[in-house]
Amino acid sequence: MRPLQPVSPSAKVALGISFFVLFFAVWAFATLGGFVSKTFLADPITMVRSGFDLLMNQGFGFDIGMTVWRVLGGFFIAAILAIPIGVLMGAYKPVEAFLEPFVSFARYLPASAFIPLLILWAGIGESQKLAVIFIGSFFQLILMIAVSVGNTRRDLVEAAYTLGAKDGGVVKRVLLPSASPEIAETLRMVLGWAWTYVIVAELIGASNGIGHMITDSQALMATDQIIFGIIVIGLIGLITDIAFKTFNRWLFPWARLS
Amino acid sequence: MPILHISQVSKTFNTHGSITQALTSTDLTVEENDFITILGPSGCGKSTLLRMVAGLDSPSSGDIQLDGVRVTGPGADRGMVFQSYTLFPWLNILENICFGLREKGLPLAEQHEIAHKFLKQVGLQEFAKHFPKQLSGGMQQRTALARALANDPRILLMDEPFGALDHQTRELMQELLQDIWQSERKTVLFVTHDIDEAIFMGNRVMVMSARPGRIKCDLPIELPYPRHYSVKTTPAFSELKAKLTEEIRIEVRRASGLPD
Repeated sequence: MRPLQPVSPSAKVALGISFFVLFFAVWAFATLGGFVSKTFLADPITMVRSGFDLLMNQGFGFDIGMTVWRVLGGFFIAAILAIPIGVLMGAYKPVEAFLEPFVSFARYLPASAFIPLLILWAGIGESQKLAVIFIGSFFQLILMIAVSVGNTRRDLVEAAYTLGAKDGGVVKRVLLPSASPEIAETLRMVLGWAWTYVIVAELIGASNGIGHMITDSQALMATDQIIFGIIVIGLIGLITDIAFKTFNRWLFPWARLS
Repeated sequence: MPILHISQVSKTFNTHGSITQALTSTDLTVEENDFITILGPSGCGKSTLLRMVAGLDSPSSGDIQLDGVRVTGPGADRGMVFQSYTLFPWLNILENICFGLREKGLPLAEQHEIAHKFLKQVGLQEFAKHFPKQLSGGMQQRTALARALANDPRILLMDEPFGALDHQTRELMQELLQDIWQSERKTVLFVTHDIDEAIFMGNRVMVMSARPGRIKCDLPIELPYPRHYSVKTTPAFSELKAKLTEEIRIEVRRASGLPD
């Protein structure tokens, strides 16, 4: 091992998987070996069994579907609005001066703290869940997109002008394509954060969803189900992340070349 | 026939309250088909002068006119090749060359026809579908040259375009540009700090003084065309080089704060 020396692809996969194995081994050892009380932490085998039961007999698949729908729905609305605002902010400095202070302030407002207020405004229906995710991701997206657009290389912009481009052309044909790989990367990251907001929203006032199952299980002291729920969230997160990364790489082949 | 008039142009920069004079009132008249090289020590304002002609910077005083029309901003009539690699990384080589043509609203078939002509001229037909990052620095600058030429500008502005290239590549590029200049009959303003390059490329060399910059000497280069690289070893070339080396040396010493 030497600093910054790359690792071969096969070794990379093997190393990544071996930590998962190690993690489960330590967990199994602590629980099955009787070092931790079953009341507080279920063992991996019980967890897998009750997970199977949840999926087969208790309609957990529907809960997963609801949660995924909420995340994607809320995130989609936030992204559709944040992308044009972020691009405008990055491209036009007066727009940035106008909005940036407020957006910087708003992004520190914790989305979860809005839940009581949102329940008051929107009840405990779907619009409340979507609103939590929206608040949690919208302002972050705007700022990060504005920064990506604002960081466009000045010499590329100048080259475009000397080739006869007008202001609109510079935004459309230089700022946007130049920032798109970073915007896609921002979307991927913020989608990850949206997952934490949806669970919080479902822990408080929901009649279905993964978060709702977790609170229900807490009342029954079913740590096996809680852990299964958490792992499902982690797995969905991992899958969407890989899918997003692959998609971005396919969409922006030029950004990988170096 | 003169096409570009630079009259009494000066430039001061105001950064954080301190005022720097980059250029004192400068006059220059560029004739049609001129290849003018502007030679000077770093920081003498030669790039600033070129950027003002391009419309990327505006003069603090004075006036720049192209074909009798005052320059107020950048435009397709003044093509520019920068020292940094400014190809758009998300476009392939062909699309890069078509950038300005598309901006003009030409139909795609016509864009491609023009682009292929210039691709051929810079010897990059095989690389039309490559992305800029897959090309060497010299090839990228050749593409940048083709991209600027495809727009058919009145004047071509070149800001140390070969400055980042290694010596051998640079000499190849110089010959290539010479050939293109002769076949296309373009007017070129070419900024460099390389004396050999300034003599070899130009029909006139402008030497600029240290900051605040001004044109201190205007030297016609009467070497015959077409110029072959072997001209660099002729006595006439050496004589010009000796003269310019002396002129530049004084300015570099002055810029470095050393006595004359």
